[in-house]
Amino acid sequence: MHLLLVPFLVFALFPFYHMTLTSLKSDQELYDRYSVPLLIRQGPTLEHYAKLLWDTAFVTWTMNSLTVTLLATTVSVAVGTIAAYALARLKFFGVASFGTLIFVTYLVPTSLLFLPLAQVVNWVGLADSKWALVLTYPTFLIPFSTWLLMGYFRTVPKEVEECAMVDGATRVQALVRIVLPMAIPGLVCAVLFAFTLSWNEFIYALTFTSSSEQITASVGITSELIRGDIFYWGQLMAGAVLGSVPIVILYVFFLDYYVSGLTAGAVK
Amino acid sequence: MAIGSARVGSIPVAVGGRIRELFDREWILGPAFVTPALLFLGLLVAYPFAMAIYMALSNSFIGRPSEFIGLQNFVKLWSSDAFRQTFQNAFVFTGISVAFKLVLGITLALLLNQQLWFKRMIRGAVLLPWVIPTALSTLGWSWMFDSLYSVINWTGINMGLLDPPGPNWLGQKYYAMAAVITVNVWRGLPFFAITILAGLVSIPKELYEAGEADGAGPAARFWYITLPLLKPVLAIVILFSTIFTFSDFNIVYVLTRGGPINSTHLFATLARQVGLESGQIGMGAAISLYLFPVLVFVVWAQLRFVRRQAY
Amino acid sequence: MGSETRRQFLTTTGVGLAGILATRVPPARGQQREISYLCWNNFAPASDKKLAEIGQRFTKDTGIKIKIDHIAHAQQAAKYASEVQTQAGHDLVEMRMHFPWLYEPQLVDVSDLVAELEKKHGKILSSGYEAAHVKGVWRAAPQYHALFTATYREDLFKKAGLKVPDTWEDLYTVGKELKKMGNPVGIPISQNYDTISTGSAVLWCYGAREVEKDGKTVAINSPQTAEVLEWFKKMFRDCMDPEVLSWNDASNNQNIQAGKAGWVHNPVSAYLVAKNKKLVTADGINHHRSLAGPGGRHEIDVPRSIAIWKFSKNVEPAKEWIRYLLGKREVYDEYIMSGDAFNLPVFANLQDHPVLKTDPKYAGLKGEGVQYHIYGWPAPPSDKIQQITNAFILPNMIAKAVTGTPTKEAIAWAEKEMKTILAG
Repeated sequence: MHLLLVPFLVFALFPFYHMTLTSLKSDQELYDRYSVPLLIRQGPTLEHYAKLLWDTAFVTWTMNSLTVTLLATTVSVAVGTIAAYALARLKFFGVASFGTLIFVTYLVPTSLLFLPLAQVVNWVGLADSKWALVLTYPTFLIPFSTWLLMGYFRTVPKEVEECAMVDGATRVQALVRIVLPMAIPGLVCAVLFAFTLSWNEFIYALTFTSSSEQITASVGITSELIRGDIFYWGQLMAGAVLGSVPIVILYVFFLDYYVSGLTAGAVK
Repeated sequence: MAIGSARVGSIPVAVGGRIRELFDREWILGPAFVTPALLFLGLLVAYPFAMAIYMALSNSFIGRPSEFIGLQNFVKLWSSDAFRQTFQNAFVFTGISVAFKLVLGITLALLLNQQLWFKRMIRGAVLLPWVIPTALSTLGWSWMFDSLYSVINWTGINMGLLDPPGPNWLGQKYYAMAAVITVNVWRGLPFFAITILAGLVSIPKELYEAGEADGAGPAARFWYITLPLLKPVLAIVILFSTIFTFSDFNIVYVLTRGGPINSTHLFATLARQVGLESGQIGMGAAISLYLFPVLVFVVWAQLRFVRRQAY
Repeated sequence: MGSETRRQFLTTTGVGLAGILATRVPPARGQQREISYLCWNNFAPASDKKLAEIGQRFTKDTGIKIKIDHIAHAQQAAKYASEVQTQAGHDLVEMRMHFPWLYEPQLVDVSDLVAELEKKHGKILSSGYEAAHVKGVWRAAPQYHALFTATYREDLFKKAGLKVPDTWEDLYTVGKELKKMGNPVGIPISQNYDTISTGSAVLWCYGAREVEKDGKTVAINSPQTAEVLEWFKKMFRDCMDPEVLSWNDASNNQNIQAGKAGWVHNPVSAYLVAKNKKLVTADGINHHRSLAGPGGRHEIDVPRSIAIWKFSKNVEPAKEWIRYLLGKREVYDEYIMSGDAFNLPVFANLQDHPVLKTDPKYAGLKGEGVQYHIYGWPAPPSDKIQQITNAFILPNMIAKAVTGTPTKEAIAWAEKEMKTILAG
């Protein structure tokens, strides 16, 4: 079993390994075409990291990314959860068309949507502000989390909820105490993916913000380290590593919680 | 299901106020629950979307007044070489990528669902490609495919798998397509694997035990138990991924900029080239909306399928 | 338009609110004037630092506050489109390529300002004029230029006793030797702007062109173009490696820095990076003048200029900044010096600039009596011409020809594509 996993792990990890390696190589070795690309021969160096951390506003950009991502994710998953519950469980006028409508918004291509959306951002007075991103990211996160959660809510048997309500709980109480705990895997999934989507977002961040104090990490790194026809490979890759490791750690714990929550439920 | 009723007993009997009673009525609670989502999408998507449609139907050029010209952009595009090539590329790119992600994703999810050593670390590792900011990870790949420093070719040559100088990854039509598909699969695989894994763990163990008792082998159990029960999850995952992949931008933009000779252009990259770099906003909008009607139909059909599965 | 004023009103309040939110200070009467300037992240990081420093001095001298933001040049198009669309954003923006033509209706006429600059520093170079002088009006003030020069491994040339080429045909002769030595010529043939740059220069030197001077007649189908394609074919076959088909704008730099390529066509950045990163190849690299052909010597140039958006509410202070940066000789000199010979003066009288004496290897960059042009020449850079450029028709025609499409067919294809664009 473990052996079968090896190709997958190599495929997943090799690019990351190579990026890390690149970020630790001195420029002389990096641009030596006879050097071995798989190893560091001339000694690792932290100069790219040092430059990234001290010479650029990388820390500020990362904090911006984090703020925007956390808020946008929270808002989207909260809004998505209740919408998903309503669409999955409740019967009311127009429920089916609401569902489709929410989904269709997902199809709207973002490649040019940012132009009119920039106008909206301006009207609400959030030009060149990271809050514009908190406001606009839910537009692609809500449809996603709603649909994902709808699926999970449907897997929670109706009877469980009905039991609770027979015992005197209100619907909202039943949702909070019964349905949500059972849909934890779904919630975790939604959070993870919403988090990642906003963490990776680029075009809105690029067009809605420009000051160094407002931009996110991806935008900041690419606009600081790709200068015309020069790529600062070492620092770019250092940025990629620093930008992903903390999140991976976060994910691993989340995932663990999600798996353990699940198995605990099954054991009881 | 025993869990549910066990916990219910502990819920205190509600001391209901009027509002609470109201919220117990589905016809009130339902609309109340979807309102925030609708507000967000209505305010922030509806207007821009309407504008985008208008742009696609106009001769809008950056900074100039525009006129409504009906479907002319769409008609003109069809006679453009680059667009037709893009059209074809988009289907090849999406079809192959999603197929790979699906097959590999199911395999990986099945593997991850086993008892594993270092479970945490393995799961974290598998997730990694999904987490690295895309704008930067694609740069990393372009460095790996670099004609001079390609670590892929170096490794291949040194292992005796490739003849020097190795494939010209981003400079030849089929290799370039293979390269962008590889990166897309790399980045999208965790999404498939983890979501399918979530689907897998929700399949009751009893079903497998029953299947085993009836003498079903592993293949039969997969085919008759796992796959049917995974269908709703798979449908949703495929749906999302198809849309994502179709509208992918970054990989092609960073790796090939649509080349060589437009053989890897996708709708989003061509739309950017035409709509932003050349200023033909109307034409660019038309490119990105070209398949919108088709996508809506596909989604509608697939959602119907999902719903039927779910109920 | 009614909606226009409403939009403007909303925008104004919007920006005001954002401003208050951002600074947490309500606007007071008689407060400092403030302008914002969006420019590309200069190739030379020192130049960005210098610009910030000049900005501070500007504030001290004039009382006008300036906020300078940077953006990667690949992202300029998206950013500018969004600023134009929303009629809000920065006051000043940096322009490259045909941008002044592309955004023409949105740019303030700065003819008076350019006249002042020309009076001080002499005429603007031909490329700067072609790029920023739109339909009789200056839509941007030329700032500096980065010419495409020949960058070669002087050490290898000397060792092998090769003659420094003067024409593209000479390049073929030495290129064959270079390839045999394992140091091929590096000219990209892919969907990038470097390919357009070198391709255009070769095209002009052979007397060919994409579109006639009238900007309406497609002229690509000519015996001269066929000659150019034959030249590219034999270059690709005998002097280069197939990897050039995959190159991006950075590849030729990296190739010569790594010690592989023996000759590339690029701005000086290739050498500068090698020098700054202390790569072993730096000492061997030198520059010589871009090459000539039967049709003369025409060089491709990448001028940059500063423009002011019409929607700006600070046009006068914005002009003040341009005057300060480009008009004051000592400030301009300081600014140019910080750019390490990548940013060269765009004025005739400043061509023999001290920056060229900071390194003996910059001697080859002195352009006296050079015919500098921008993409699309001799056609005026209209919206259509830049569509031809951005659709990568020239690079793809060359790519087709070198990968097996018959020359005639490749030319016919390009002609058809160009005609479609000009007709639409």
